[in-house]
Amino acid sequence: MSITLINKKDVKEIEYEENLTVEDILKKEDIPIETVVVKINDQTVTEDEKVNDNDKMEIIKVIYGG
Amino acid sequence: MTDNTCTQCGYEHVVINRKSNGQRLCSSCFKDSIEKKVLKTIRKNKLVTKGDKVLVGLSGGKDSVALVNILNILKEKGIIELEAITIDEGISGYREEGVRIAKDVAKRLNVKHHIVSFDEKYDFTLDKIMEAQKGKDDHQHACTFCGVFRRQLFNQVARDVNASKIATGHNLDDETQSIVMNYLEGNIHNMVRIGYKTEARDEHFTPKIKPLREIPEKEIGLYVLESGFEVHFDGCPYAHESFRMEIGDFIRELNLKHPTIMYSTLNNFEKIKPAIKKEYDKKHVVPNGTCEVCGEPASQSICKSCKFLEKIHNELLNDGNQNG
Ligand SMILES: [Zn+2]
Ligand SMILES: [Zn+2]
Repeated sequence: MSITLINKKDVKEIEYEENLTVEDILKKEDIPIETVVVKINDQTVTEDEKVNDNDKMEIIKVIYGG
Repeated sequence: MTDNTCTQCGYEHVVINRKSNGQRLCSSCFKDSIEKKVLKTIRKNKLVTKGDKVLVGLSGGKDSVALVNILNILKEKGIIELEAITIDEGISGYREEGVRIAKDVAKRLNVKHHIVSFDEKYDFTLDKIMEAQKGKDDHQHACTFCGVFRRQLFNQVARDVNASKIATGHNLDDETQSIVMNYLEGNIHNMVRIGYKTEARDEHFTPKIKPLREIPEKEIGLYVLESGFEVHFDGCPYAHESFRMEIGDFIRELNLKHPTIMYSTLNNFEKIKPAIKKEYDKKHVVPNGTCEVCGEPASQSICKSCKFLEKIHNELLNDGNQNG
């Protein structure tokens, strides 16, 4: 599946295998889960939310360090 | 299959899964739970009393925005008066955005807002001091200057506007880090001063309160986002407290597997504090005079901040300017 990943001004299209959760993607991108809030298609979600093809996933870093 | 239903109201989209107590909450129940918890902290620890005038530090960062938004509930109910202060240290490319957001938030909440800058009060910016320091032997970190002068301005404005309390946005992560850091470093005198409020040592000293002390930092970030505020999430370019950051990372890592660890660190500390206090607090020197220059509490005729200022103007900037 293809995801648009937004991390501040950094926007990229990434190909992942199917059936991933937000937590899986954060791990793949090496982003500590405890420091961010994630929105999928502009809606805040928890880390166990499933991510689908063509989703827009926005990562908002709310904690420094990590 | 994960359950996306709010455990409070049944709404079918949750924004948080609290591993510490099993709650899964929708946006609205989550915001409610934060506000209720902070108001409970305030009530339980008597952080404000009816008629208090609270001056809140509003940097434009998430903690201060959450704090002013929640204290505003008490203002709207007519329990307290509320004013906000933003201190502009003069950090180019960083502070401007915070000041702009602070202005917008104060306006949106109809809270009287004071903006005080190092430049107008002291005739220098933090950037200017750091630039002047380059190549000198006696090198101090930006946070040292920043801390001293922010405190002085905060206290000055609190006196000028007759505030009876100063509120700061320290969160559960900050407090847990301070406790663990001071413990590991054996800094027991600093440890007894960690708490919900500072006790007023004399009438020149406005008591400081920390209403967000029981709220995890990440939940504060979520709270301001869900409340529709624009927030300055950037870190300060001068930030360096490397030991604090290490401890922060370590505790957050622990927290993944042990989701109640920060609460228990804070609660246990509060339990043992009276014993540490009894043993160590009496040895702490209390300032018993007033600074001749600025009126701050001081143990000598001139306070630490004013001595610092003199040194900066005479030795660092060589502009012969004493105190703005
Ligand atoms: Zn709900
Ligand atoms: Zn002074």
